[in-house]
Amino acid sequence: MTIERLADLLANTNPGFFILAAALLLPFARDVASRAILMVGGPLVALVALISAEGLSINLQTVQFLGLELVLYRPDSLSFVFGLAFIIASALVGAYSLHRRDALQDSTAMLYAGAGVTAVFVGDLISLFIAWELTAIASVFQILAPRGPESARAALRYLVFQIASGMLVLAGICMYVAATGDTQFALIAPSQAGLPVGVMDINAPGAVLILAGFGIKAAFPMVHNWLQDSYPRASETGAVVLSVFTTKLAVYALARYFAGLEWLIWIGAVMTVFPVFFAVIENDLRKVLAYSLNNQVGFMVCAVGIGTQLAVNGAAAHAFAHIMYKALLFMSMGAVLYRTGTTKASELGGLHRTMPWTTLFCLVGAASISALPLFSGFVAKSMVMSASHADPALFVVWIALLFASAGVLEHSGIKIPYFCFFSHDSGKRPQEAPFNMLLAMGAAAALCILVGLSPGWLYQFLPYQEAAMEYLATDLWTAGHVLQQFQLLVFATLAFMLLQWRRWYPAEKPGLIMDVEWFWRRGWPVMARAVGKRARKAGRVVSGAIGAVGGSAQLAARQVFGPEGWVAANVPLSATAVLSLAILGVVLAISLFA
Amino acid sequence: MSEEKEPVLGEPGEHPLSVLLFSWMRAPWFKALFTWSLIVIGVALIGLEAWLAFRPIKAVTYAPGFQGVFGFFAFAFAVLSGWPLGKMLRRPEGYYDRRSGEAGRDD
Repeated sequence: MTIERLADLLANTNPGFFILAAALLLPFARDVASRAILMVGGPLVALVALISAEGLSINLQTVQFLGLELVLYRPDSLSFVFGLAFIIASALVGAYSLHRRDALQDSTAMLYAGAGVTAVFVGDLISLFIAWELTAIASVFQILAPRGPESARAALRYLVFQIASGMLVLAGICMYVAATGDTQFALIAPSQAGLPVGVMDINAPGAVLILAGFGIKAAFPMVHNWLQDSYPRASETGAVVLSVFTTKLAVYALARYFAGLEWLIWIGAVMTVFPVFFAVIENDLRKVLAYSLNNQVGFMVCAVGIGTQLAVNGAAAHAFAHIMYKALLFMSMGAVLYRTGTTKASELGGLHRTMPWTTLFCLVGAASISALPLFSGFVAKSMVMSASHADPALFVVWIALLFASAGVLEHSGIKIPYFCFFSHDSGKRPQEAPFNMLLAMGAAAALCILVGLSPGWLYQFLPYQEAAMEYLATDLWTAGHVLQQFQLLVFATLAFMLLQWRRWYPAEKPGLIMDVEWFWRRGWPVMARAVGKRARKAGRVVSGAIGAVGGSAQLAARQVFGPEGWVAANVPLSATAVLSLAILGVVLAISLFA
Repeated sequence: MSEEKEPVLGEPGEHPLSVLLFSWMRAPWFKALFTWSLIVIGVALIGLEAWLAFRPIKAVTYAPGFQGVFGFFAFAFAVLSGWPLGKMLRRPEGYYDRRSGEAGRDD
């Protein structure tokens, strides 16, 4: 292959395909060096491909499929920043995972990453759906990786949500395509003044279903609990890779189709606030991070809803920064889990003595997520805050975001590092994290600081570059802006010190915090049994026959779906996943041929 | 073989980086010093805002120190809400495993 052909291949191929290729080769890699080449080298090749893309907002790679033109590669300034963050995170996750060899987990993690990167660079709804579903299937293996009964059940629940989301999106796409005939982004979301972000009319056929599907992936309120249920049960590396892709892919999709949709402002505002309260009382620090993730995605969803250039820039910048610092925080907790076997605050404390590098990197992540000036969170979140403050009609939203900012400091800025590495001495003296973990954490920490110190580097990649540069020149570093943010953080930290001194800070206690999952894990079975009992009684009174049929149906349903039914108890999850995939494929095929 | 000496700073077996960066935080005076430093810095920040970034006060949100005061009370509210919420929502670790009716479990 000549140099020209290689350069042409790199410039015109979706970068995600290089990571997918590395994922497929990974099971055959036997030694650390070849694994490192694939797990870090794959994303690096993808990065080179992205940088050398032949142009933005043009279809660079297309195929004909069942009479439709699928756009496999169409980078633009919205997808660029998300794709860049995904690729960097893929390389970090690759480096972070090198200490242990688990071919299935490693290759599915790469598959997940590759599908995520592919999804942001495709240019039509069908390709987006396929890549999106590949992320759903591949990600389940990250939750299954610990190979325990708890993680298996959590993976099953996770899969239900992911498949439900996929079904909604698929149904929405079918309705939309049937009504309009358009599948390509460029046609569906016509750019505003040549800019990449457009709007899908929410009244268009299928648009609400597509939004609902995206909403599940973004963990909208009341459908958020799959996130807190599953991520903390993943392996130390699985939680890191999970934190990067699914929810941010949903933010990207929302920004792509629904920027400016007012519903999202309020949904986002609620998302920022409610996780704060759960995070305060949660004992498992990885679950705290899962709530924190919910809260941070809320900022992005809110910004997408506001929909101005500043707000969309804020959503994209926040996504980039968040991917780095949240991955860093999950990595530090992963290192603690790997060395101590737990991330429960009540069992930890004092780990800084023997894990100072991990402590230091965790503190950088904590400073970043708290939006301390000179760290990445500040330069990203500031745009969202400014965009909400700019509109007097959004005063309540701004107050909610301000409250959430203080909440972020509480749960991620202070609680995570304090209860894990400082606080009371748990007596645990674990070894420092393995070198590869430290390397990945160090790189992520360096990025958090680099973006904080030199925001222009990130701002040049944002969807509305001119607006971003103007914000950098006139607003970001103003005395008022920086001083107010420092005030918020200093006084909130003071509140923490005083509450600790007065012993008013609730102690970390072991236990399970009930959330909306109660409805489907306890409430729904109880309600189903109660309704079934009453239905049987009513059936007997009204008509023995109807009652008998109802009873039989219920008995049959119980045998299939009940606690000891074959669906629930003994079916291997891999088979369930394959079955779900098959159903998806059949529905897709029917929809396309119909 | 020489007898192992008690380190001047830190603890036996403590990582040198931890000794350098964090061991002084365990001093008995640290919490008081840190708290007072926060108070002094906070007041200075409000003063600096009033001096360097004063705006006509059209609403309470424009007042110097608003974000500091808001941050203090928002943080305290979030933390203190943990007491009633913890009582209301905390259950034993195996809460869902024992009687949940979920896959593979008996009632």
